[in-house]
Amino acid sequence: MIGTFDYVRVSSVKEGCALIVAHNGSAMALAGGTDLLVNIRNGVRSPDLLVDFKDVAKMNQLVTDETTGVKIGACVPLNVIADNRVINEHYRALAEAARSVGSYQVRNRATLGGNIANASPAADTAPALLILDAHVDISGKDGTRKIPIRKLFTGVKKTSLRTGEVITDITLPPVGPRLRSAFTKKQRVRGHDLAIINMAGYYDPDAGLLRLAIGSCAVTPILLPEINLFADEPIDELVRRLNDVAQNAISPIDDIRASAEYRRGLVPVLLHDVLSVLLGAERGADEAA
Amino acid sequence: MKLHEITLTVNDTHETVSVPAGMTLLELLRENLYLTGPKEGCGAGECGACTVLLDGRPVTSCLVLAVETDGKEVRTIEGEATDGQLSALQQAFIDAGAIQCGFCTPGMVMSARALLERNPHPSDAEITEAIAGNLCRCTGYESIIAAIRLAAERGEK
Repeated sequence: MIGTFDYVRVSSVKEGCALIVAHNGSAMALAGGTDLLVNIRNGVRSPDLLVDFKDVAKMNQLVTDETTGVKIGACVPLNVIADNRVINEHYRALAEAARSVGSYQVRNRATLGGNIANASPAADTAPALLILDAHVDISGKDGTRKIPIRKLFTGVKKTSLRTGEVITDITLPPVGPRLRSAFTKKQRVRGHDLAIINMAGYYDPDAGLLRLAIGSCAVTPILLPEINLFADEPIDELVRRLNDVAQNAISPIDDIRASAEYRRGLVPVLLHDVLSVLLGAERGADEAA
Repeated sequence: MKLHEITLTVNDTHETVSVPAGMTLLELLRENLYLTGPKEGCGAGECGACTVLLDGRPVTSCLVLAVETDGKEVRTIEGEATDGQLSALQQAFIDAGAIQCGFCTPGMVMSARALLERNPHPSDAEITEAIAGNLCRCTGYESIIAAIRLAAERGEK
């Protein structure tokens, strides 16, 4: 037994939200459970009731449409996202981020909605969703609302969700065929640990526009201000320029995984990796793995 | 404590059991159904010793509530052998010397089983990725990778 809570499986968002509200803050939404059940077991969380949303049909759908973009139900497991053809071709950073979470077993349970609702500063899908300008559909007792993902994270394990609100879908805007994105991270042991630092990048060659997001280096994942590329700026100079921007934006801490100094030291390394993937063909850098 | 009656299929056998919400699938398997192949190592989804297949997909059963498996199909290491005969995958683990203390083996075999079902001819990199969530502190993994490669080469299930 990991706890003394009760459990209800709901088939509609409305029913689930009403139950959470009725329990006055002592009920929690359950998706994959790969964070929540560990937290309950460790005594970090002690809800009276878990409301399981995995049977809500629309929260399990992954709909891809080249004109309207992608809609991913909050309960879609990360392996489904990692294996989706359209996400791999057009939203590569998200496929790579999803594939990098935990182990294969964990990714069969862990969901995209859970990964962001849990709001760990190290959440791997968060930097990818930030650079892709994802929006989050939220339902609660007062109806539904949609917010950009950059407005979701408010602190360590804190979101702008109100009591009784759940994330139902994550939407990604349509992208042009030339758009590129990439994700990378540094971790101690693959399959068994959180990121020391993670980073996602987005490059729109038509607009000469670059977006970068960094995780595990502040209380929330950080989206850097959009960057305009200078023509023919070599990657090494671009890394120097962006490293200055990034170092000012982050505020890493020392923890069991790494020191703040080490995290700061990794920023230019990951910048080089991400930029090589995004710009390599044009700027003469080696393609990073 | 409130009990939930659930019905699930475990290794092709229908089971109807009453479980408290706080019971994990691993606890149900080991303590109620006496299937002690799946092991509890970390209890946090990190070591993979409790890996079973849930509707055909490998999961860490310490991070699944028993009550969540109502109506679902579970396979454990106990479902590998038929009529006292080891599966080809189990035999490959023996032939490759992929077992030392044995604690990780039930989970390792289930991860390998799921890999071979979805990809009958995996590369070494794909094997490594598939078992990245299964810790082994004895073998150094080389013999386990060899065992899975051997099972794939034999092309048997």
